[in-house]
Amino acid sequence: MNFETFQERVLPVKNKLYRFALRLTGSQEEAKDVVQEVFIRVWNGRDQMHEIQNMEAWCMRITRNLSLDRVRAMNRKQAQPLEESYNIRHEELTPHETTELHESMNRVSQLMAALPEKQRQVMHLRDVEGYSYNEICDILSIDMSQVKVNLFRARNAVREKLMQLNAYGL
Amino acid sequence: MDSEKIKALLERYWNCETTLEEEQGLRDFFNGNDIPENLQQEAQLFRYFKQQQELKLTDLSFEHALKQKIQPKESKLRSLFSTGLKLAAGISVVVASFWLVRQELKEDQPEEVVDTYDDPQKAFEETKRALQLISKNFGKAQKASTNINLINEATEKLQKENKKADS
Repeated sequence: MNFETFQERVLPVKNKLYRFALRLTGSQEEAKDVVQEVFIRVWNGRDQMHEIQNMEAWCMRITRNLSLDRVRAMNRKQAQPLEESYNIRHEELTPHETTELHESMNRVSQLMAALPEKQRQVMHLRDVEGYSYNEICDILSIDMSQVKVNLFRARNAVREKLMQLNAYGL
Repeated sequence: MDSEKIKALLERYWNCETTLEEEQGLRDFFNGNDIPENLQQEAQLFRYFKQQQELKLTDLSFEHALKQKIQPKESKLRSLFSTGLKLAAGISVVVASFWLVRQELKEDQPEEVVDTYDDPQKAFEETKRALQLISKNFGKAQKASTNINLINEATEKLQKENKKADS
């Protein structure tokens, strides 16, 4: 694989990797670093890449592993409190949105961020990236029933919180 | 899509019974206009998903930085190749000059003397004739040089006598 092939076949997946890394780390810089590291791994192992059936799922899996490593490292250092990482996530929202919409996006973002790790991953992969259950199994290395259970719990937790927010007018 | 259909679809969505296409349909619906008031809270969620889908790694320096990190590998290969090329060029220069010097030395060496006679008797006769020729001419030269010596001696004598007469 030369650099041109790499640019054509591998680089276009960068936005998906970035969004997933951002979801897991909550930091733009960390997410960018993770994506870069994934691509360097692909490049260095380019001779064995033909053995990988689904390159995108493989990249997503590496993104997940590297992101979780970074989250663990960040938690150890405690350099960045969790609250702060949520705020960074909020900055990701497009500035042209109206304030009201911006706030409602923030609320949903916080609801998702508050989900347990696995539920958050499954919900992101299904509802944001539109992956099939099989692909999610592949990316997260878990079985189908776990994917479904986690997605069910995630969606219902978010639904419940949304109803509460609505009921209390928050 | 009317409100009732959406409600039914939503119910299936919460139960994880919807297909990917139906879920995309929900995202599209809630990102459109005229959302019924009673579906506003769900709309927030699907708008959020749609908005997240549009999030991109727009940093222009990203690909450049990545290329920088990847390139050293390539240039390492390239430098290995050019070193090999230089080495090969050096070796071929040495081999070529060695060959040329060898050719030069070969040309300088006199050709081997080739036998001219097959019969030893004939060769002996010929050699004898050649030696006799040399010795005959040698004799002639000796005779001539004796005459020259006589002239020289006579000249010297005359010169000496002239000197005596002068003094």
